[in-house]
Amino acid sequence: MAYVMLGHLLNWPLHCETTATRRESRPSSTRLPQHHDLPTNIINTTKMKLSSLLLPAFLLAGPSLAEHTSNWAVLVCTSRFWFNYRHLANVLSIYRTVKRLGIPDSQIILMLPDDMACNPRNAFPGTVYSNADRAVDLYGDNIEVDYRGYEVTVENFIRLLTDRVGEEMPRSKRLLTDDRSNILVYMTGHGGNEFLKFQDAEEIGAWDLADAFEQMWEKRRYHEILFMIDTCQANTMYSKLYSPNIIATGSSELDQSSYSHHADNDIGVAVIDRYTYYNLEFLESEVKDTSSKKTVGDLFDSYTYEKIHSHAGVRYDLFKGGAEEARRRLVTDFFGNVQNVEVDSGKGEKNASFEEEMVRLSRTIAELHTRAEEQEAAERNATASAAKTGKKQQQPRKIQRVAKPLTDDNWWTKKIVGATALAGCAALWGLGSYLEGVV
Amino acid sequence: MPRLLSSALALRRDPRILKIPPYLSLLCILVGAVWLFLLPLNEYSRRTYISENALLPGQVHTYFGGSDQNVLRAYKQEVNSLVGKSNVEINDKLESIVRGLGLKTARQNFTYHAAGRTFEGENLYAILQAPRGDATEAIVLVAAWENVKHEVNKNGVPLVLTLARYFKRWSLWSKDIIILLSPDSIAAPQAWVDAYHDAHDSSRVASLPIKSGALQGAIAIDYVQENRFKSVHIVYDGVNGQLPNLDLINSVVNIAGGQMGMGVALQEMWNHNDKYPDRLRTMLRGMLKQGLGLASGPHSSFIPYHVDAVTLQPFGEGWQDEMAMGRVVEGTFRSLNNLLEHLHQSFFFYLLMHRERFVSIGTYLPSAMLVAANFTIMAIFLWMKSGQPEIPAASTTESSDKDDAPTPTTERDLFLPLAIVALSGSLSAIPLYIFNHVPESALTPLFYLFLLINTLFPITLSLTITTLFSPNLQQYHLVKSFSLLLLGMFLSSLATLNFSLAMLIGLLSAPLSFVKPSSSPVSRIVGFVLLNLTSPPAVLLASAAIWGLNVGDILREAAVAWHVTGTYSAVVVWCVWWPAWLAGCVCVLGRPGRDQEEEKKVKKA
Repeated sequence: MAYVMLGHLLNWPLHCETTATRRESRPSSTRLPQHHDLPTNIINTTKMKLSSLLLPAFLLAGPSLAEHTSNWAVLVCTSRFWFNYRHLANVLSIYRTVKRLGIPDSQIILMLPDDMACNPRNAFPGTVYSNADRAVDLYGDNIEVDYRGYEVTVENFIRLLTDRVGEEMPRSKRLLTDDRSNILVYMTGHGGNEFLKFQDAEEIGAWDLADAFEQMWEKRRYHEILFMIDTCQANTMYSKLYSPNIIATGSSELDQSSYSHHADNDIGVAVIDRYTYYNLEFLESEVKDTSSKKTVGDLFDSYTYEKIHSHAGVRYDLFKGGAEEARRRLVTDFFGNVQNVEVDSGKGEKNASFEEEMVRLSRTIAELHTRAEEQEAAERNATASAAKTGKKQQQPRKIQRVAKPLTDDNWWTKKIVGATALAGCAALWGLGSYLEGVV
Repeated sequence: MPRLLSSALALRRDPRILKIPPYLSLLCILVGAVWLFLLPLNEYSRRTYISENALLPGQVHTYFGGSDQNVLRAYKQEVNSLVGKSNVEINDKLESIVRGLGLKTARQNFTYHAAGRTFEGENLYAILQAPRGDATEAIVLVAAWENVKHEVNKNGVPLVLTLARYFKRWSLWSKDIIILLSPDSIAAPQAWVDAYHDAHDSSRVASLPIKSGALQGAIAIDYVQENRFKSVHIVYDGVNGQLPNLDLINSVVNIAGGQMGMGVALQEMWNHNDKYPDRLRTMLRGMLKQGLGLASGPHSSFIPYHVDAVTLQPFGEGWQDEMAMGRVVEGTFRSLNNLLEHLHQSFFFYLLMHRERFVSIGTYLPSAMLVAANFTIMAIFLWMKSGQPEIPAASTTESSDKDDAPTPTTERDLFLPLAIVALSGSLSAIPLYIFNHVPESALTPLFYLFLLINTLFPITLSLTITTLFSPNLQQYHLVKSFSLLLLGMFLSSLATLNFSLAMLIGLLSAPLSFVKPSSSPVSRIVGFVLLNLTSPPAVLLASAAIWGLNVGDILREAAVAWHVTGTYSAVVVWCVWWPAWLAGCVCVLGRPGRDQEEEKKVKKA
């Protein structure tokens, strides 16, 4: 525990440093496709190596497992076409929220199958709004879409989650998480019982999703996941999940539709869905910044049938510690970028602690060695005394022997037995062939 | 199983089985007719609904109004000053207005000849290019200078001009908008749509100098009324009974009825209380129009090209003004603009009985199919009957060796029956040609002459056949069998294309199933008189009398429809119904077995 606290204290300088470098490199980065800034990547990879080195230490540490060191968000809209404007607005409003709470573009994977801002039908070209008051332009001037148009497919989505991508895949299109990453997976589109339609051609099933999450778990690609889905019959989508440490929530039960909240009569389409609208309302009003102590439980408790017009569902059973532990997670654990980076700050210190650990380890090993030797010596003494006094001690050793060693004892006897056996076989064969001839 | 089969086969030989078909075919006709009258009930019809998600009708605010009203007034002034001028003069003025709006304009000449008349004129059209669209699709706004009743479209043309000016100000069009100002409501739009799809006869219709993308929909405005109006009348019948996608009608109903709060009427049912009689009346009017297959407005010519189109006519005394009408068009265009693909989700085959009630093809088709099936059943029955000896074996010996004895069959003499059916079929080309190629003035006298010939000809034909070939009963059965087989076949396939026409012809020719040659002269005369009452020209005359129309006008309209819009109803009447009727007359007037009787007399002597 003290170790983790130390991490907390020592982490800050490093965290600030990375954000500083990122801010410097921001103006040069292009809008599409987005590129990771080099410093973050190096830090990420070193962290991974470090974690594998320190694995035994983590296993010993226990409680420190509850902490995560990075926040990622996978925001997926699965429908295209003008009349599905609201789905893109849904996902863009969540995108805006997670960015507001500090998750950088490099750690957000945004999938948008269509470009509503540039649709000729859009009465307000270049913008996307999720509210008829049109106060916030979600398209703004700082948006990075990682997968767009026909790139948004089931295959790409599953490859993204499980990181089964080719070498040519740019880092901006990869989910570079590790076993200390908290991931927010938000999906919206047109769904049905245990499936979610991707564009107009294909759909992802609940089992596909469950298997993808399981593979992520096996590959140590997440620490905890908050899975949130806003479609018709959304709750069926997470019903098949079976991997640990996932909190899942959806907008509607089996056979229930997920409704849109309101339409903008100048744009001429519905602009947001109810479930997403009320999630955003909570996030905007209760989670004003990353220091918010509102929990996931508070968020889920804010869902009511009166507001959403469908029964929103929550699934805690996969989470270690169940509902109680899951509900205690902060909203910012998933929507924000509050990290608990352990170790580092100064290299000397880190090495010192590591060497200290090694020394302690070698000491323990040496101690174990001496203890083993002592035990052996004691045993040897005991057998020697037993040989003098009686034969009882030898019995167990004989029983343990299973295979007999080859010896030259009774050489002739063995030869005769063998020859007799051979002769017997030959006689049997002869008898058999004779009988055959007779019959 | 084998026993079951053999008993089934034995049943086939049972003479009683041959007694069933006439009753069965009568039952088919009755059920088919009753079926039709059940359709308006709540249990059989359905409420309309929007199938296409992309349409989103009535979800946008419409802003047509305000200063546009002054613009409209100005255009109305201009248009009023053009009334009575020639087509070219009108087009010159309108073109200068449209070009002033910044739209590309073009003109197209056409000349049609039909019923001794010449239909010529010049279409004016303009293309409003979508500012951010890709010019692959277009929607059409039509205002004909004259409507189908030849009244000047005094409000419609200025409204379309104002709308063009208004639409030009929006940047949200995903499709080009084509403004078509045609001199009339039938021939001109037909010429334009034909040329747009390069399906025109270039000797009569000029090609279009400029074009846009694939047409996705068309709205025609027929706004003659001067005062404020109450409701909108949607005219939706296309050429040959083809209909626009139901989603388009539903969208207009939704926008005009739901969003704008004005009434919507169909099939000239100005007051509709949504009760059974009104529903039935609406449906039957729709069926009649569909059956005739004539063009009912500027929209009709678009529908055969799979361009969904309707004509909107304001009617009644109310408080809605031109701006409200403009907003209905604006809302509908915004919906069409939302489309991502051709309207295809909803029904193309339906019968509307109220603005929010319809039956789809699956529900109504069986009635026409049953009527058509009655002819086929009778045809098969007569074929089987013709294969049996005329006088069955004595019924006393039948019971003992019925199972063993093979069904006696006689040889069928096919030549004469086939020749008669072929003759009546080929003769049908004569009325078809004459009525479509005679000048208008000659149509009425010619019709009465034809009526006379039509009455006398079967008698002559029958006399000729009986004296020359003296056919027996079997041959008469075969004549009737072949002619009914053809009729049943044509009608059942027609039912899928134009349900109403198939149903009408089917019911009118139903007596043909039950006429048969008789030896008594009285029943022959009665049968012939009955058949003459349901002959095609008699039905035409009767319907003209019922609706107070001139027979000559009906025939002229039919000839124009044949030449201009390609209506095929005349083919069905003259080449399907008439030959079957003629064959029926030959049967009813036939005197079968005369030779046999004579033979008997000879033997006795």
